[in-house]
Amino acid sequence: MQDATKPTAQTDERIKEISAFRKALIRPELGGMVGTIAVFTFFLLFAFDSGMFNSQGIMNWSIVSAQFMIIAVGACLLMIAGEFDLSVGSMIGFAGMMVAIFSVTFGWPTWIAILVTFALCIAIGALNGWIVIRTGLPSFIVTLAFLFILRGFTIFLPQVIERKTIIGGIKDVAEGDWLAAIFGGKILQGAFVWLGDAGLIATFERGTRKGQPVVDGVPMLIVWALVLIVIGHVLLTKTKFGNWIFASGGDAEAARNSGVPVNKVKILMFMFTAFCATVFAMCQVMEFGSAGADRGLLKEFEAIIAVVIGGALLTGGYGSVLGAALGALIFGVVQQGLFFAGVESSLFRVFLGVILLGAVILNTYIRRIITGER
Amino acid sequence: MNPEKAPIIQMKDIQKHFGSVIALAGVSVDVFPGECHCLLGDNGAGKSTFIKTMSGVHQPTHGEILFEGKPMHFNDPRDAITAGIATVHQHLAMIPLMSVSRNFFMGNEPERKVGPIKFFDHEYANRVTMEEMRKMGINLRGPDQAVGTLSGGERQTVAIARAVHFGAKVLILDEPTSALGVRQTANVLATIDKVRKQGIAVVFITHNVRHALAVGDRFTVLNRGQTLGTAQRGQITPEELQDLMAGGQELVALEGSLGGTV
Amino acid sequence: MTSLFKKLTLATAIVAAPLLAATTVSAEGEKYILVSHAPDSDSWWNTIKNGIALAGDQMGVEVEYRNPPTGDLADMARIIEQAAASGPHGIITTLADPEILEGPIKAAVDSGVDVIIMNTGTPEKAREVGALMYVGQPEYDAGYAAGLRAKGDGIGSFLCVNHYIVQPSSQERCQGFADGLGIELGSQMIDAGQDPGEIKNRVLAYLSANPETDAVLTLGPTSADPTLLALEENGLAGDIYFGTFDLGGEIVKGIKSGVIQWGIDQQPFLQAYLPVVVMTNYHRYGVLPGNNINSGPGFVTADGLTKIEEFAGEYR
Repeated sequence: MQDATKPTAQTDERIKEISAFRKALIRPELGGMVGTIAVFTFFLLFAFDSGMFNSQGIMNWSIVSAQFMIIAVGACLLMIAGEFDLSVGSMIGFAGMMVAIFSVTFGWPTWIAILVTFALCIAIGALNGWIVIRTGLPSFIVTLAFLFILRGFTIFLPQVIERKTIIGGIKDVAEGDWLAAIFGGKILQGAFVWLGDAGLIATFERGTRKGQPVVDGVPMLIVWALVLIVIGHVLLTKTKFGNWIFASGGDAEAARNSGVPVNKVKILMFMFTAFCATVFAMCQVMEFGSAGADRGLLKEFEAIIAVVIGGALLTGGYGSVLGAALGALIFGVVQQGLFFAGVESSLFRVFLGVILLGAVILNTYIRRIITGER
Repeated sequence: MNPEKAPIIQMKDIQKHFGSVIALAGVSVDVFPGECHCLLGDNGAGKSTFIKTMSGVHQPTHGEILFEGKPMHFNDPRDAITAGIATVHQHLAMIPLMSVSRNFFMGNEPERKVGPIKFFDHEYANRVTMEEMRKMGINLRGPDQAVGTLSGGERQTVAIARAVHFGAKVLILDEPTSALGVRQTANVLATIDKVRKQGIAVVFITHNVRHALAVGDRFTVLNRGQTLGTAQRGQITPEELQDLMAGGQELVALEGSLGGTV
Repeated sequence: MTSLFKKLTLATAIVAAPLLAATTVSAEGEKYILVSHAPDSDSWWNTIKNGIALAGDQMGVEVEYRNPPTGDLADMARIIEQAAASGPHGIITTLADPEILEGPIKAAVDSGVDVIIMNTGTPEKAREVGALMYVGQPEYDAGYAAGLRAKGDGIGSFLCVNHYIVQPSSQERCQGFADGLGIELGSQMIDAGQDPGEIKNRVLAYLSANPETDAVLTLGPTSADPTLLALEENGLAGDIYFGTFDLGGEIVKGIKSGVIQWGIDQQPFLQAYLPVVVMTNYHRYGVLPGNNINSGPGFVTADGLTKIEEFAGEYR
């Protein structure tokens, strides 16, 4: 009693001192970094001359990874806030179909169609969150319901309106639209023409585009992915709201006791997830020019897998946007890279399973060191 | 007690009924600034109901609460917190996965403006957290150390330090030592002592007589929703307190057979 | 920590090594990639896999099979882009949705990869995207031919069991059939889903709600097999007029026992085998057929089923 009242602090001799190096290393992103290095080492060794690392190949796995990243950022923040959204994949299909119906069938200007679609989808995200908060049901169940509801509408609406399940012609109506370009356009075209002229990247050998570089710019999809990662990371780690996200997922009751508006945080995160899914859909629709009822199938699981590879805790309260982005990169590179490496494509799932398991084990280990969780 | 000081909070003849159950049947307690007022009682004696009334979770069925001499009506815990009544719950308002400094400022995040955007001021938060923890006698590895790596006693201390930092005038501690080992308990009791010396009123709920006697200035015993009086330090022996808590004779008989170990 | 990581790397390398060895062994000859639109669950494409394997062996070339696991055509577009990036001699693919696939296919053609369109698509679209040729069965025409045949057999209404409703070509089959009969498609097409149990129950439900239905049209083994079970259960087997697209083990048995009147065989084996052979000969000797190849439709009835029975699900 007397000893303990002394202001000199007691240190528990059973807690080992952690070296500065180890401390710098032990971060939520560590698993993702190790995985990224491992995956790239693997493919550089086994698939270097397969075309995976020429300009077309790099662009290919970058785009696929960027797709995963866009939905992973939303899923990551929502998971840290303690909730799931299984309706992401259906939301992608739904958003694409709505913008197609608005712009092609109804003939609205594309930018209005895009804005209305965003408003609609974010409202559905808010509804998801509101139901979860109001009923206290697990978000797993509520969003599973929306997985079916949204997919159902995505198949039903175009059949009723256009008597088909794919609506095309968006490219034509979106021609010259300023907002469509923000999703479907490309940047840095000049740089790639220069690279092509300088012989640094391959050019088309024939056809109308003969002489032009095979990769003619960075798609806005990749720009969106990077922007969302930066915004998500700053929001989570550098703002008051980020602290609330961690708190809401860590222990909603404790957070409420401390005055954190948990309900508001969770609903906003559902809306953000819906926003990310809609961005994904817009980029896809504007690039390919058609919306189909099958778009985005199973994407919710791919997002969750990327987030978990990236070190987030499924039960909430812990995770990192950078980690999720690395998880998405690993996912994309493995998915496309196995093919470059000449691995039988049906074995993709085996590899994915192995990586998922390895990543989760490694991340659990890292997390225990950081948080003292037992 | 310091006689010239007025009580910061007065609970007068508080009654609380839940349907036909009378949880509190007229309890009166005063708490003075800078004192540690121990609230003792066995399980089901009404301690929880009483402190929940004091912290605004329940509204009393009958009776009056005076805060700094004025009648107060707390509609919810927020009102009580705003007035300066902070509660550290038995199950802590701490999130083990988050760092100490993030926990410390949870709900009260300091902000720093860079251009139009407001950022969490980590530098300030880390500095204050380290400082406050050092004052309480806890040396953190760093402000980013997760609360989960702290011991139970240290967590209690963080929670208490947080309440004090954010201006609590009355600190209600709900069984802070019930789940702790000997050494951890000593640390928490030392923290209570420090807080009291800063002039904050501490309401310490426990059913452990020895813990109460270690830091308490005054002792109020609750039994079956009624108070059995308030005693000053030095006016009462541990045995008497124990008997009061048990509500009379049964324990005396029991104690005989247990050889005075309870 | 580090030891754990080492173990993981080692384990991955051990798992991966034999697979890499196994698939790169025949890298001598030309390399072709077949990209389909079918989800993993679609067993019909097994014939295609067998077809390219046989053609690859016979011609001494390497042929890989790739598909989007969920059947998402946007994913398929990425696979075509990736196939082009890996620098094969040729790509064999379907035109499940010309709008979405046009860009990647044109880019592949322009970067020097030859493309043949198989299975889904039309000769016109194949020419538009710059493919060498089209090998397959035009879906609407096949449906229309089947509709005419059914009309001749006195059919006035039908149920189209669509197990792949998001695929435009599946609807062309139903639409063609309706047009062949000279009736409105309307609500006679149902979205059956991919699960056998669900398909069976939906067929049962539709037929009990619409007892006057003359005929059932299924679009492949995925929908035909559960429909056979459904008809056995409600006693309509052999009574209701039953036609189906594509063949499979159960379908052949059904044709033999008379429950199914006819199957439209688009002969997928040819769609897989011929493009490989044509492309190899084109790359080796510069010879190319002057026209598209229609692999179907061929109507398979109870007569002459022996060969089909023997190779059903494998090469037929």
